[in-house]
Amino acid sequence: MRRFTLIAVPYLWLLALFLVPFLIVLKISLSDYALSIPPYAPTLDFSAGWQGIKDLMSKLDFENYVFLTEDALYWKAYLSSLKIALISTVLTLLVGYPIAYGMARAAPEWRPTLLMLVILPFWTSFLIRVYAWMGILASEGVLYQFLSFLGIVDEPLKILSTNTAVYIGIVYTYLPFMILPIYAALEKMDDSLIEAAEDLGCSRMSAFWLITIPLSKSGIIAGCFLVFIPTIGEFVIPSLLGGSDTLMIGKVLWEEFFSNRDWPVASAVAIILLLILVIPIVLFQRNQQLQREAEG
Amino acid sequence: MRRFSWFNATSLTLGFAFLYLPMVILVIYSFNASKLVTVWAGFSTKWYGELLQNEDFLDAAWVTIRVAFFSSVLATVLGTMAATVLVRAGRFMGRGLFSGMIYAPLVMPEVITGLSLLLLFIGIGLDRGVFTIVLAHTTFAMCYVSVVVSSRLVSFDKSLEEAALDLGCTPFQAFRLVTLPIIAPAVISGWLLAFTLSLDDLVIASFTTGPSATTLPIKIFSAVRLGVSPEINALSTIMISVVTVGVITASILSKRSAVAQQRDEQAATQATG
Amino acid sequence: MNQKVFAPWDDPNQKPLIQFQNVTKKFGTFTAIDDLSLDIYEREFFALLGPSGCGKTTMMRMLAGFETPTSGTIRLSGQDLGQTAPNKRAVNMMFQSYALFPHLSVWENIAFGLKRESTDKDAIAARVEEMLRLTRLGKFAKRKPHQISGGQRQRVALARSLAKSPKLLLLDEPLGALDKKLREETQFELMDIQEKTGTTFVIVTHDQEEAMTVASRVAVMDEGRLVQVATPADIYEAPNSVYVADFIGDVNIIEGNATPNGDRVRIDWAEGQPEIWGTAQKPVASGERISFAIRPEKVTISKEKPEDRRNLLEGEVIDIAYLGNISTFHVKVGNGQIIKAQSANTRRLANRDITWEDRVWLTFTETAGVLLEG
Repeated sequence: MRRFTLIAVPYLWLLALFLVPFLIVLKISLSDYALSIPPYAPTLDFSAGWQGIKDLMSKLDFENYVFLTEDALYWKAYLSSLKIALISTVLTLLVGYPIAYGMARAAPEWRPTLLMLVILPFWTSFLIRVYAWMGILASEGVLYQFLSFLGIVDEPLKILSTNTAVYIGIVYTYLPFMILPIYAALEKMDDSLIEAAEDLGCSRMSAFWLITIPLSKSGIIAGCFLVFIPTIGEFVIPSLLGGSDTLMIGKVLWEEFFSNRDWPVASAVAIILLLILVIPIVLFQRNQQLQREAEG
Repeated sequence: MRRFSWFNATSLTLGFAFLYLPMVILVIYSFNASKLVTVWAGFSTKWYGELLQNEDFLDAAWVTIRVAFFSSVLATVLGTMAATVLVRAGRFMGRGLFSGMIYAPLVMPEVITGLSLLLLFIGIGLDRGVFTIVLAHTTFAMCYVSVVVSSRLVSFDKSLEEAALDLGCTPFQAFRLVTLPIIAPAVISGWLLAFTLSLDDLVIASFTTGPSATTLPIKIFSAVRLGVSPEINALSTIMISVVTVGVITASILSKRSAVAQQRDEQAATQATG
Repeated sequence: MNQKVFAPWDDPNQKPLIQFQNVTKKFGTFTAIDDLSLDIYEREFFALLGPSGCGKTTMMRMLAGFETPTSGTIRLSGQDLGQTAPNKRAVNMMFQSYALFPHLSVWENIAFGLKRESTDKDAIAARVEEMLRLTRLGKFAKRKPHQISGGQRQRVALARSLAKSPKLLLLDEPLGALDKKLREETQFELMDIQEKTGTTFVIVTHDQEEAMTVASRVAVMDEGRLVQVATPADIYEAPNSVYVADFIGDVNIIEGNATPNGDRVRIDWAEGQPEIWGTAQKPVASGERISFAIRPEKVTISKEKPEDRRNLLEGEVIDIAYLGNISTFHVKVGNGQIIKAQSANTRRLANRDITWEDRVWLTFTETAGVLLEG
């Protein structure tokens, strides 16, 4: 009986607040926009029983999805989300790997402190961390003042409200997600492997390419997915740092919902976004699985 | 003997400068007397004064803390239950769906989670406000809690529980008296995580709230959309300091208890050996 | 004797392969190696033996190039190794942890070093096959290191480090991770491979039995210095110090005052106990404080009193360690000192007559022990 309660309580909670809402999104994405409250049709008529459900099913269609393919805005937004996510993942890797490497090579007594310094930003508000860059990147912001003080620039910067600012924001906020798995992989690595490679004739550089990189591969892959997956649906960064021409699907969905109040189209946008995310998520799971098997 | 080269030192210095300079700059400019970011007009704490007189911000802070408290407590209870089910309950109908529902919210874009919950609340005619945000935050935070707790449960030595059963405990007593105290650190960090996630959340709260309840992130977001504001700088500084002090205190405490435990173990081995 | 005994260290015409000349290595204020000089000859199987922290690993790492001496020189075939990087030395190392690359197969691990200096695929493949045959690993070539047993991993590490035909192979506790039985088998395998390839081996170990079994010469180290460098038999039979005698095997140490008498020495070691007679290896001053070291297997134990003779001690059995092939008796003699005596168990357990609390007699010959200073 206790076992039943233990299973039932979290199960029912998730069914009611995760699965059912998701099915509602799916259903609404197949409905039509209507000038009513709620702003879509048809609605489910429970009082009509089975007949009501049948009526509902017959009225659902893929019109919204067809609309998404016809309107260039949407698929451009998907493509641009993927592009921004991809570029910023690569940038985050390039910035994060040397940091993770330096941490793994630091004296053992320093490592817990360095680790804490990487994790600390996690606990500070995401919104504030993004906001911090607004003052720096603004046309006459802190960065401009610094650079003009050095005499490098003489006219106001055009970084804020561009994709460059979005890249900076993503690299900055997601950097710990990249550092941690790579650090974990590098830290486990036995130092004598590098010595063995050098003993067998490798230079330091070739030992790095032939041994260190392959052995941190699982960390690199995990870090890349941890940055790539949430970045695709990102909303805060493009809306604060990006410009009007920064197209990201999270922002489009938000505007479709709050500004245009087109719930069926917003729902369809959400469903497609999920379908796009399934591929990297499955790949990520496989990587984690392989890593566990390799270790176990 | 470890090769710590200049390259490593440089990359660490630059990396941590990148991570921390923006926040340091934010903190410095919160003491700027001028309203403009472009001008440094001398040291002043006037924005803190204005912030503390701003009823809207204080109300939003109060809403946020209430939401974070209730949702994190609920999420900790539900998440610990879910972790126990995942690790201990064995086979049951719909187990695959259950673990799927635990892991899916972790990768679900916030906009979709928020949208779907809003559509649910509208569908069942629930008035939106603090209550609906608590429901929403509990749902996604419980998944994080259950991941944290289940990773601890997996490494937990099951024979301890069996020993308790052998000594006459009921399964529930064994959980309460043996398992729970041992997994307590994971439960506490799960709770902290749930609390922080709730404090931090903008997107889901924006979808699931109504006109009656505005959380701090919503307030901040609508303020900074229009540009940099010195009041928000002051608010950010307060939030950053609270977190920094909290994390440093927690790490010192846990380090101290680890050292104490090590000392006790040493003393014990010396006493017996 | 037609066959010449392998002893290049006794031949003044031989040139050493490796020369340590007044080598000192300091880590901060800690001196790991203290003004050490040592010659190692070609085709030798040389063992560095000592407790952990004695500097033996530092010696090996200096040979491999992972550490450089603070002062002094190390020569290989007469050439100063100086600052030569590890990847430029004709020296290979077998690591204690084996350090097999986990992402590469057995075959690729063995080929790793060869690929660094050559692009001739056929030559590499031929050499790898040869190594696989030598170490009997042919069947496992395609496996990854985590898919084979500990003993096989050890052989992969050996094959990998031998593949480049180094002038000198360094082995850092090569058998430490294996269980006792496998370790003994592998010791003979190592000797066999060393003989076949004719490579000079330097092995670091803390296991004295291992050093005695495999090595042509053993260097016993303590606190960064060489205490004794000699063949296993000399180390065992003629240790030059109490430290060496105590470190290698089991030994009874009896301290007393010496009185030379011809080629024999009388040792008065305890009030009311018969004196002990030993043989001096070098002149001893009268009245000098001296340690008499004797191995337990050279002490005979009996229940009946033998005829009166020198080196006859009476005592009581207080402990018996039964080791199967031999038994060690712990006998308390008059002044309370414990002396260990060993006897081979040629008869079955039930037929043996000495047991706890028996009065027994211990005897040994005048040449059985060694006299050591201090």
